[in-house]
Amino acid sequence: MTITLERATRLRGLRCRACHLLQPADTRYVCGDCYGPVEPEYDFSGADPAAIRDRIAKGPPSLWRYADLLPVAQPASHYPVGWTTLLPAPRLGRELGIASCFVKDDSRNPSLSFKDRPVALALARALELGLDTIACASTGNLAGAVAAAAARNGLRAFVFVPATTDEGKIAGAAAYGATVVRVLGTYDQVNRLCARLADEEGWGFVNFTLRPYYAEGSKTILFECAEQLGWRLPGHVVIPVGSGALLTRTATAAAQLRDAGLVEDTPFRIHAAQPAGCAPVSDAVLDGYREVRPVRTPETVARSLAIGTPADGDGSVTVIRESGGSAASVSDADVLDGCAVLARTEGVLAEPAGGVVVASARALSTRGAFDDDEPVVLYITGNGYKGTLAAESLGPAIAADADEFRAAYREVLA
Amino acid sequence: MSVTVRLATPLRAAAKGEATISVEAVDLAALAGEIAARYPELAARVLRDGEFGRFVNVFVDGEDARFLGDGDLRGKRTVEILPAMSGG
Repeated sequence: MTITLERATRLRGLRCRACHLLQPADTRYVCGDCYGPVEPEYDFSGADPAAIRDRIAKGPPSLWRYADLLPVAQPASHYPVGWTTLLPAPRLGRELGIASCFVKDDSRNPSLSFKDRPVALALARALELGLDTIACASTGNLAGAVAAAAARNGLRAFVFVPATTDEGKIAGAAAYGATVVRVLGTYDQVNRLCARLADEEGWGFVNFTLRPYYAEGSKTILFECAEQLGWRLPGHVVIPVGSGALLTRTATAAAQLRDAGLVEDTPFRIHAAQPAGCAPVSDAVLDGYREVRPVRTPETVARSLAIGTPADGDGSVTVIRESGGSAASVSDADVLDGCAVLARTEGVLAEPAGGVVVASARALSTRGAFDDDEPVVLYITGNGYKGTLAAESLGPAIAADADEFRAAYREVLA
Repeated sequence: MSVTVRLATPLRAAAKGEATISVEAVDLAALAGEIAARYPELAARVLRDGEFGRFVNVFVDGEDARFLGDGDLRGKRTVEILPAMSGG
């Protein structure tokens, strides 16, 4: 089945990132000429920024308010995703040495991670194509997002995860009714299996056969940040990097906002945050913006970022260099401390990927990356109740007795 | 030394509709050379300057070719050529 979309939206077609050929937005998911990745391209000539802002302001409190900047229309059946809080974070800022600090709290999405955004777009496209099954390879969060979206829309879902994935995330995806397949191997090995199945089963693999639409959902975090800051780009954004899709699409989103005349062309620096046990992008940036060297066996407490061969790795390095940004790679101890600091200072409980962002922001701040005192936005992409929580800071369990409480917690009460 | 090269659907039209092709090659460089000689349309899609391009993932018996060093194919049976995927 071939369904093209150009007439329904501002979409001009799909542009290949490798050979730059513009082609129709049909069912293709790679370039017909060179097999490279394709991305939607839009035509904003003649666009009236005031009219677009007005439509956005009157739009729904979800990512679909940015319909002018997206390749597919809102499906009738899906639930609201996005339009999450941009929290001013002065206490965290003081802790990290950042003058103007904000937390984009994307842990508040329907399945408690930012993955609900790309899935919303992929799902819309899957419904247009009449698919009855959606699927994904996942490090955990995408599994939950796909499972929830499938449940909401009466579709069948298969999600494939490394067997080491956090149990809470596996249980969550299964609770939505998805078939959860645990695979003995790394995320990259799961990905290879899924590439084969995508080819042979005809399912809508959100991060493969629906990828051109899926990735577009990640743009909406920056759209929201810009709108929430009064239609301006923040000076800096710190982004957790797994596959690199969120980071590269953040750059795409900034370019689109500028092209459409929605924001001024002000400096906008993109910084990568990765755990030291799997930091192919950060290492490449810090080593002079060289090519990404894949990591064979990622080892990190931030399992949602454990992608050793990131599909958008080299693209991320290019984007960071062009934006004037930098990167950090942080230890597992610093990751857990980052989670604790964020929870303690701002009341936001993040999964370890959020700790990676906070610890990386501290490292970048120490290096003077934010000395221009421009707003710094930290992307918090997953909820702490889904990830591995460290219970080291717990005090003893006590009997229901006031004296025992005061005795056991003397140091805290002092 | 013959290996079976498995092609994803978008590549098959460039290889006369075949889902798999059998190629004589001792290493990945020789495999690229054979593809260029026998399947120029396929080569135009997956090769850059005579090597597998950066947007293509190559797996040898399930192992990412980037971890194989010199790309030795002796004793190997299957090569898969896949596009990059998003994550995670």
